[in-house]
Amino acid sequence: MPDLKELGKNKSNLIKALQKRQELEGYISDKDIEEISEAFSMAPVEVEGVVSFYTQFKRIAPGKYKIAVCDGTACHIKGSSLVLNWITDELGIEDGETDEDGIFSMDAVACLGCCSLAPVISINGKVYGNLTRKKLLKILNDYRQKEEADNG
Amino acid sequence: MSEIKITIDGQELLANPGQTVLEVAKEHKIDIPTLCHDNRVGINTSCFVCIVKDENTGNWLPSCSNPVQDGMNITASGHEVDDMRQTALNLLLSEHSGDCEAPCTIACPAHAKVEEYVRAGREGDHLLALDIIKQRIPLPISIGRVCPRFCEKDCRRNVKEDAVAINDFKRLAADLHYEEYMEDMKELKDEKVAIIGAGPAGLATAYFLRIEGIGSVLFDRMPEPGGMLRYGIPEYRLPKDLLDKELDHFNKMGGIEFKCNQELGKDIELSDLKEEYDAVVVAVGSWKSSSMRTEGEELAYDGIEYLEEIAHDGWKAKRDPGETLVVGGGNTAMDCVRTSLRLTDKKVSCLYRRTEKEMPAEQIEIDEAREEGCDFQFLTQPISLREKDNGRLVLECIKMELGEPDASGRRRPIPIEGSEFEIEADTVIAAIGQKTIAPEDVPTNQWGDVDVNENNCQADQSVFAAGDCVSGPATVVEAVAGGRRAALGIKAYLAGEEYNPEYQINVSRGYWQSLNEDELIYLKEPEQKERVEQSLIELSERISTFKEVSYTFTEEEIAQEGERCFECSCTAKTDCKLKEHSEEFGADPEHFKDNIKMDHSYNIEHPQIIMDPGKCIKCGICIKICNEVVNEYLLGFKNRGYETKIGTAFGEPLPVSCEECGECIEACPVGALDWKIKKLEEMN
Amino acid sequence: MVKRIKVGMASCGIAAGAGEVKEKMIEMNPDAEIVEVGCIGHCHAEPLVEIETEDGSYFYQEVEPEEEFINKMLNLEDYSRFESPANREKKEKLYVTELAGKINPISIEEYEENDGYSALKKALEMEPAQIVDEVKTSGLRGRGGGGFPTGLKWSFLADKDEKDKVLICNADEGDPGAFMDRSTMESIPHQLLEGMLIGAYATGANRMFIYCRAEYPLAVKNLNIAIKQLEEAGYNNLNGEDVKITVKEGAGAFVCGEETALIHSLEGKRGTPRFRPPYPTDYGYKGRPSMINNVETLANIPLIIRDGGEKYSQIGTENSTGTKLFALAGDLEYSGLVEVPMGITIGEVVYDIGGAEEGSVKAVQIGGPSGGCIPEEHFDTPIDYDSLTELGAIMGSGGLIVINKGRCMVETARYFLEFTTKESCGKCTFCRIGTKRMLETLERITGGEGSHEDVQLLSDLGDKIIKGSLCGLGQTAPKPVLSTLNFFKNEYMAHVDEGYCAAMECTALVDVYLDQETCIECGQCIKVCPVDAISDDFVVDNEICTRCNSCIEVCPVDAISRVKREEE
Repeated sequence: MPDLKELGKNKSNLIKALQKRQELEGYISDKDIEEISEAFSMAPVEVEGVVSFYTQFKRIAPGKYKIAVCDGTACHIKGSSLVLNWITDELGIEDGETDEDGIFSMDAVACLGCCSLAPVISINGKVYGNLTRKKLLKILNDYRQKEEADNG
Repeated sequence: MSEIKITIDGQELLANPGQTVLEVAKEHKIDIPTLCHDNRVGINTSCFVCIVKDENTGNWLPSCSNPVQDGMNITASGHEVDDMRQTALNLLLSEHSGDCEAPCTIACPAHAKVEEYVRAGREGDHLLALDIIKQRIPLPISIGRVCPRFCEKDCRRNVKEDAVAINDFKRLAADLHYEEYMEDMKELKDEKVAIIGAGPAGLATAYFLRIEGIGSVLFDRMPEPGGMLRYGIPEYRLPKDLLDKELDHFNKMGGIEFKCNQELGKDIELSDLKEEYDAVVVAVGSWKSSSMRTEGEELAYDGIEYLEEIAHDGWKAKRDPGETLVVGGGNTAMDCVRTSLRLTDKKVSCLYRRTEKEMPAEQIEIDEAREEGCDFQFLTQPISLREKDNGRLVLECIKMELGEPDASGRRRPIPIEGSEFEIEADTVIAAIGQKTIAPEDVPTNQWGDVDVNENNCQADQSVFAAGDCVSGPATVVEAVAGGRRAALGIKAYLAGEEYNPEYQINVSRGYWQSLNEDELIYLKEPEQKERVEQSLIELSERISTFKEVSYTFTEEEIAQEGERCFECSCTAKTDCKLKEHSEEFGADPEHFKDNIKMDHSYNIEHPQIIMDPGKCIKCGICIKICNEVVNEYLLGFKNRGYETKIGTAFGEPLPVSCEECGECIEACPVGALDWKIKKLEEMN
Repeated sequence: MVKRIKVGMASCGIAAGAGEVKEKMIEMNPDAEIVEVGCIGHCHAEPLVEIETEDGSYFYQEVEPEEEFINKMLNLEDYSRFESPANREKKEKLYVTELAGKINPISIEEYEENDGYSALKKALEMEPAQIVDEVKTSGLRGRGGGGFPTGLKWSFLADKDEKDKVLICNADEGDPGAFMDRSTMESIPHQLLEGMLIGAYATGANRMFIYCRAEYPLAVKNLNIAIKQLEEAGYNNLNGEDVKITVKEGAGAFVCGEETALIHSLEGKRGTPRFRPPYPTDYGYKGRPSMINNVETLANIPLIIRDGGEKYSQIGTENSTGTKLFALAGDLEYSGLVEVPMGITIGEVVYDIGGAEEGSVKAVQIGGPSGGCIPEEHFDTPIDYDSLTELGAIMGSGGLIVINKGRCMVETARYFLEFTTKESCGKCTFCRIGTKRMLETLERITGGEGSHEDVQLLSDLGDKIIKGSLCGLGQTAPKPVLSTLNFFKNEYMAHVDEGYCAAMECTALVDVYLDQETCIECGQCIKVCPVDAISDDFVVDNEICTRCNSCIEVCPVDAISRVKREEE
């Protein structure tokens, strides 16, 4: 895996460098932007412009469990906006937000590509389909219990 | 280099390969508007105001970016193209948050350049202030005292403390410099205009005609000119010696004649005036009192008759009205109340059928009347009036309660059954409204006011009209505004031209009540400053003399007040390309209205430069100038779609060194990047 | 005897739980040969398992990771067997996706056993110009939605007399509801790569990129493995030179499916488009002549070389040859990935393949947020580029959504416009601001506050946005609105004039009603309501109710339903 200095020699590696950085910390901080601008010999405002253009890049720390709610067409027809509401009601967070304890964060995403299972969410990459409110609450509860168990 | 032929709007033109359609058009003086185009940097292809139609393909193209091809047939003007341009401009205006003109200037019925004369007053240049004021308001001594201050109602400073005391700037400037100031005027021509009525409307018409080099003769039925200024507004609000000083200037201007004691229908006829003069202006005001519609009302004084008589007495205490009842809630009622308070030691009461909140009179008039001892009786309606044998009057009244709102939006008063009662008094004055008595042979509307074209004030051929007789009873400043419109209308008429007022737009952030502190532009951080209170004479003097109640602000007080002004108008208002093109293509800031959440954020951390992203049209010129011309990279696009913004890294302020450069500011087609400090206007 | 076991492990399979199924089978039978395959196309029936024996294959659907089930399967019992619906088999033509779901995606050997890379070898024996001609003869048109003749596009790049040329595969697949390219990349990555290599040879490109959206990690993984494999095998050595193929991930921007925006994104910049001319073939990636083809287009190439352009052109119609992949979803029985010959009618796809109920369908949406709706009365329209365009829709990349009579077309249009407005890059006036203003107007209408002027505005402004936008996103964003206005104006007018949403979807026009007569007072609804909107005597307070549907779902006697909101 090439390091930042290597990547910085070619401007077309910028998005890759940002993706790699986000993999480490889950988001891109101001400091990250400064560091990467330096490595690429670019102005920080230009790098910030690239970061803020693409939905993938987060500027605030995500939760331990990242919930992606698919809002693609098939999921929308099967009620993805209801799923968003159920999660907001249950966890108190809106699209793009992280909860106070940093456990859960939620983002509506374009399409996870599992349209036959609509409506679909994924938590840290694991896909859950055919959701009803009951199913969803059980899934969230399972994660909550896991969190409590982890913390003793 | 082989040349190619293209056609633009039917014109065959030679072009070089590699040129854009815009470049070829410019070379041949074909005007295509642009916003995001700057010769010094690469194309932005963002605003699409330069859009043209390719007749060969039917496609619409941005002419700034499209390279020419041999045989291209372009339409760059005409209805369809104008419509697309207008839509692009309407869209840009719909996301544009700002104030072209300050709300005070927009609110002023005469559209005086308020922010500019306040700035002049703040700087201590009161002569300049007067010069700016007189461009729209030829009667600053009067208006500086009696105006209901439309400007202050819209003043954004209301969000913090109270409005800036704007009107007092006019009063000081007039008090200091009115007599010595002489405006530039065109040379007198042969035409002469007859003006019937030497009140504010007539005077303003004469003034603005004279500026254009057209002389006039003012006829008035009263012994002296001034109209309501002399015979309606009491001395304690507007001293008549000051009014004389104000009117004397009209004599100094030359070309303006006064003929008093001339009543229309008795001493002069409209038909004669039409024959003798090149144009006639009807400015007779609204002098007929409205009826109380009660039995016995002939026993009551008409409000304006009452004031007129006392005016003829020279506003001296030549009579004592005794116990006085004034019926009504407007400014005329307050004038009657406060005049009576000065003439008698007995009780003076004001009866109004709704509550204080609904009274149309200026709040300050109501407050000062109350201070001077008026007894207000609200929700009271007169039913009948009769005279007792001893000459005392008995007014039978009934109590009211407020019901559902009526057509005016105010809650309708409903009589409470069985609540009748009687009040005795020596004098009863009915001041419930006025109507116009229009001259014969002049078109009128359903309310009896003179019916005119609202653009040029023309009633019928060479007859024009302005003031209360057109609008119904209103204010002095509105009459003055009407007079100016009439003057311009007459000027066009005499030249045989059509009067076409320029299409102008104004973008506004909205009424101050819908904004909070963070949403107002502060060119500098404002300190908490209460409004300077106007000094008044002693109360004892107020109720026993007609001495002017208020003092003019001092120069220090005005300077202090000037510091409170936010300077709301856009720093780029005189060179904004968005405004310019929008006016050219008839775009309207209100076209896509309705609940649009606007971005009112701004950054004034730099000492000299303001960044106002609400005005930004995302053209990208500033970014390229900084990068390609200045060889820095301080600005960039952020976010995406509708949320796109231009800003610095992490939203930090621009470095101080930027003020030595200022390239992006010069290049910005609107006011999104500009210098903070506004310069003083120049004298006319 | 069981030869080997194939488990469908594309994203849908994994989401349905195929991973657990595989784990369980390994646990129970560690010696069996268990292979992960790609997308079998019948996503509704996942997890799918194929048991290969000497006598043939046995398919099992909705397989569960438990002993009893798996034993039954291994015993080839007649339990939860999967049969492809007969109609579907007749109507589909698994041509491009023949190998998908049959082979291990990341086994180059298996691909070669199935004739893989034979087309490349054949091509290398031909002249590049011959290959371009074959593609022209085949009549192949761009499968990404544009429908531009691929052979002609290839000739533009081939004719460029420059050393450094770039071939880019557009795998951004941004249409929500489209997963054709994902399936292809996960299931038959080698076929795509073979097509790209043939393309590079034919056009003289010496650098290749696959721009794949980041939301497809399995596709990226499989592609990278496949590339390594083909490099090891030396397949990327064309004309004595090693052509480099790099997979670059997008970062979440639908607009980057547009050619010039994609190029900018590859260059590490904000993905905004630029004006054309100059076209990418004249000035593309880092200024080099570049050509961009869609995944499905490139996956067709090996077959064209193998079978010859003439034979290929026999499939489909005269102006739209070959087959098309569709991601079938919505209100129908059999959703999944289907491949049909061009010229098949919409009705055949919806009813015969998709198993939708006759009489239940109102319209289909073809082409995603850039496309339009086609109402039921036009279901005899053949699926080809030109017929669809005539009706105001577009072929698009292959998203096909079936909409039944219980759905609101106005809300559907609003949904698509919300998507394009969010995805607009923000550069040009008509798209950036126009789509937003249109969306606000639509929201007024679905919110019960619309007027006749609003409906007129949608039409006027939509028309201008199409004309005045810089790129394809803006030029097509108004289409769902305009096409629903064209065919379903009555629904718009009902919203505006009567505040009535026939489908009961627009929450501002809908109340929740509990029928006291039917109610058995079990109390489930009160328990499940997240905002306590149902009183103890079973009355729904519509001021509080958020229309979340929880009570409707949970009621055992269907006593609760959505009804028209009454005006005060």
